[in-house]
Amino acid sequence: MSGQENENVGFQQSRSEGFLNCPSSRMATNTMPEKASGVTMSSLSMFKPPTGSDPFFASGWDPLVSLSQTENFGGSSMVTQGEFCNPPYNNPVVLESQGMSSTSHLVQYPSDSSFAEMVPKLSCFGSGSFSDMVGSFGLPQCAGIASTGCPPNYPPNSETTSTVGGQSQDGCQISDGGIGSSPNEKRRKRVPDFNSPLSPDKNAEGEQVQQKDSSISDVRKEQDEKKPKIEENSSGNARNKQTGKQAKDSADSGETPKENYIHVRARRGQATNSHSLAERVRREKISERMRLLQELVPGCNKITGKAVMLDEIINYVQSLQQQVEFLSMKLATVNPELNIDIERLLSKDILNSRGGNGALFGLGPGIGSSQHYPPGIFQGTMPSIPNTAPQFASLPQASS
Amino acid sequence: MMNPQRLSLSFSSTSYKYRFVQGFIRALKRINRQKLATSLLSRSSPTEIYKRYLKVKSAADASMASAVGLRRAWSRALLQRIRDQERINFGNKYYKYCPAGTRIRGKSTTFTMIRNIKRSSDDRNCKDQESINNGALGWKANELRKLVPGGEAMDMCNLLDETAHYIKCLATQVKLMKRIADFASA
Repeated sequence: MSGQENENVGFQQSRSEGFLNCPSSRMATNTMPEKASGVTMSSLSMFKPPTGSDPFFASGWDPLVSLSQTENFGGSSMVTQGEFCNPPYNNPVVLESQGMSSTSHLVQYPSDSSFAEMVPKLSCFGSGSFSDMVGSFGLPQCAGIASTGCPPNYPPNSETTSTVGGQSQDGCQISDGGIGSSPNEKRRKRVPDFNSPLSPDKNAEGEQVQQKDSSISDVRKEQDEKKPKIEENSSGNARNKQTGKQAKDSADSGETPKENYIHVRARRGQATNSHSLAERVRREKISERMRLLQELVPGCNKITGKAVMLDEIINYVQSLQQQVEFLSMKLATVNPELNIDIERLLSKDILNSRGGNGALFGLGPGIGSSQHYPPGIFQGTMPSIPNTAPQFASLPQASS
Repeated sequence: MMNPQRLSLSFSSTSYKYRFVQGFIRALKRINRQKLATSLLSRSSPTEIYKRYLKVKSAADASMASAVGLRRAWSRALLQRIRDQERINFGNKYYKYCPAGTRIRGKSTTFTMIRNIKRSSDDRNCKDQESINNGALGWKANELRKLVPGGEAMDMCNLLDETAHYIKCLATQVKLMKRIADFASA
């Protein structure tokens, strides 16, 4: 086990490398997206014999495959692993994709937290049976999933989950372990079911492998479509939302950081259609901007919901524009003392003063409705302006 | 008003303030010269005051928009709108009376180019945009579009972005105009 621990540590340290580091040479490590930090493929380490040879996989994967395939995918954008996986590695691919999907449902934005799901999965290792491992087989792109090692039994699962959760916080923003444990339990229930019927599953597995491949290819295609679609110059905004995306090969993983794509992973149970993913990205952007606006508009801290917020924004903009109109009316009527001392005006308080007349702050905070917006300024001029304004409206029509 | 930690915080208020005040004060001076040129009797007639009010308002908007420059869609649209109105109102006198900083000839092609570029980049979002437009938020978004200059051509995402910047600039404008008005009337 010490060897495994070493590997785990190594995985943690290997940033942006494919989780398939463990099975080493064959698996391209680039499948890690740029954000992937240290996959803790402790589960993989379990599988990897010291020789890292095929027979281990060949014998071991079948139950895993069967287990994995019965899992619900939720269409994770696993993918590209399929590229690397030649026939001997088909199973691992499947496994990974399953792991991905299982992990993905824990994803909370930002999707780096998808790695968190790996945590509970890893704890499932429990018994030496592969089936258990399958359930807990968290997949690659997980950052900093702590080295759970392979807990010998199921019972210690909870402990390991918590420890993993604790460890995994270094790399990603990971949802609390509590969330992770429930899907973990789901896995647990299913996993024992698949322990025995290995042979019947093989047929199903055969089909499912094909399904997987198709889904993998679909996802890959979707990635291709998505790349040109979602290619945006995302600065700070998108960086928060960038989730791990499995690049196709090392070259891609080298390129993707430079290309400012928005990488999105489909969450569990959600469509992987490129349109819906793009829509989700847009929706997140819109909600982020609504939040910014919420800070700008006074008195909108308690408002939840786009509709009310939009109302408030509209009211606020209207009130500001009305204020500009009132002020310009005031300036139009005032005597032109501005002819003097423009420089004095400029250098002096206009730019810098915070204090000053109380009239300046007639428009206090806590403006809840449009009616509150204008009144503060016009303590002096209120009587005159409202009276004249309607006349002005009618006059130009009369004169013209 | 300023949130230094967000992306919408390309808002450097100090430079905006300075440029706005500069342009606005110059425009006010010009308007006052015009005011003094009219006879004493008609100077305070409602018509004249109304005309002056319109000039002051458009001067304020133009100074603010030119302080922001052309990097924002709303400022570009606002400048274009003001320019069109001025051209209608004053004909060939338009260029002489341009507020400082807005006398940029031949920029209409740039505006159209920029607008076209923005529109084409927004096309890919139209599917999601449809859902917003047709939903309950649709008419509210359109209301907002009417308020924000240049908002008609924007999708929701950019509209909200522009609205945020526009609100900040409007608030700055109001604050500075208040100070100027108080200074002038004091």
